Amino acid sequence: MTKISFERTGGFMGRKVSATIDLDDLPDEQAELLGDLLDEADFFELPDDLTKPAIPDAFTYNITVFNDDKQHSVRVSDATAPDDLRPLLDELSKQARMQR
Amino acid sequence: MPRHNSTHSVFCITPPHMLREIILNGSAEQRELAVRSITVSEQIRGQRGAMTKDILSILKPAVAGEKQRIVYDAKNGSQLPGTPARNEGDPATGDTAVDEAYDGSGVTFDLYSDIYSRNSIDNNGMRLDSTVHYQKGYDNAFWNGQQMVYGDGDEDLPEAQRLFNRFTAALDVIGHELTHGVTQFEAGLVYWDQSGALNESMSDVFGSLVKQYQRQETADQANWIIGEGLFTSNVNGVGIRSMKAPGTAYDDPVLGKDPQPGHMDDYVKTIEDNGGVHINSGIPNHAFYVTSIELGGNAWEKAGKIWYKTLTEKLTQRATFQEAADLTYQAAGELYGTGSLEQIAVRKGWSEVGISIGGDAPTGCLPGILSVFGIKSK
Repeated sequence: MTKISFERTGGFMGRKVSATIDLDDLPDEQAELLGDLLDEADFFELPDDLTKPAIPDAFTYNITVFNDDKQHSVRVSDATAPDDLRPLLDELSKQARMQR
Repeated sequence: MPRHNSTHSVFCITPPHMLREIILNGSAEQRELAVRSITVSEQIRGQRGAMTKDILSILKPAVAGEKQRIVYDAKNGSQLPGTPARNEGDPATGDTAVDEAYDGSGVTFDLYSDIYSRNSIDNNGMRLDSTVHYQKGYDNAFWNGQQMVYGDGDEDLPEAQRLFNRFTAALDVIGHELTHGVTQFEAGLVYWDQSGALNESMSDVFGSLVKQYQRQETADQANWIIGEGLFTSNVNGVGIRSMKAPGTAYDDPVLGKDPQPGHMDDYVKTIEDNGGVHINSGIPNHAFYVTSIELGGNAWEKAGKIWYKTLTEKLTQRATFQEAADLTYQAAGELYGTGSLEQIAVRKGWSEVGISIGGDAPTGCLPGILSVFGIKSK
């Protein structure tokens, strides 16, 4: 089982959006997409805090992934997000924006 | 025929638009080579040097009062700055976001130049760089330390779910982002807690002043809304923040209610949003509004000058609201005299949000009456 907890805070409006996603509850296609994006980002190898320096009005993203026996949290901002993590951030942001 | 070496000839076969790209985006060395190459190839072809002139206008350092803008298009990606879409002096492109970023940064430059004699973001003619169409579904704008960045809102969602329009739609947002740059070069307010909220507030103050200046509105004619026009018609709200009445800009089933306080009694303690920088900024925002209304006329003239002097000459990196209050009061005294109406207006502005100048100003009716008789109630 894989669970993703996602929060986006800050931004010009300073408003939080969040989403909790259990990949088991998703249609296969979507679960596969998120799984691929996690792999692409090499998520479990990312440093946990990539939020410095603070960038005025940028979003801060807080992602935690629970995966069977392991768990990892990563905090990044628009200015510091690694390129490989971008597609995952985009997808999770979209989910969170649709659920808000 | 002009003498040229082999390095030049490599560039001679490079198409002009690529050279232009190199000049805009390349390293100093690449830039120099590209410029030389254009000059040489134009001489070879016996042209009048239109391209050279064009290129030189990009490279020339700005002189006082002369603005230099480039708007880039990220084409929905996240690479900055992206592809140049409009340079200084170019006609409108027809791309609304590009043209809004161009015009908005121009008006902001003008306010700073005309009223505060400031030559761009760094007061040294810095080029104003903006990127539009940043990412997909990016309902935000930011200043990345070097340039302004704008998203298109919720353009990727079905229309019924869209809450945000493109972020260049509001002129005060452009003034807000550019002012983050000014603050970076001046007070350098640390983006955390009260100093961060002051950083935010300075951006709202000058963002709002840019809008008022463009519309030539007096303080009482202005609506003091930040981000008017950013919400789609799906949202019950007039904008993102209200400097006139913090906490009232929106109240919506999906977005919730505007969380901004307008008084120290309602100060929000949080670790999110860098310690609530976009929330508690409502307090200094409202102090500026009250000061402006007290003074009457155009807010950019007196209140704006007091705040500008405070931002550029007085505030330090970790300033608190109390320090900002005391320093604006000091600035008003220096600009308009001790005990001047301007100083009294500043005192009133901060007192309305629960901050006393010097921390011990008489407030309310009784202390006011006592003070007339020279009695201090504290």
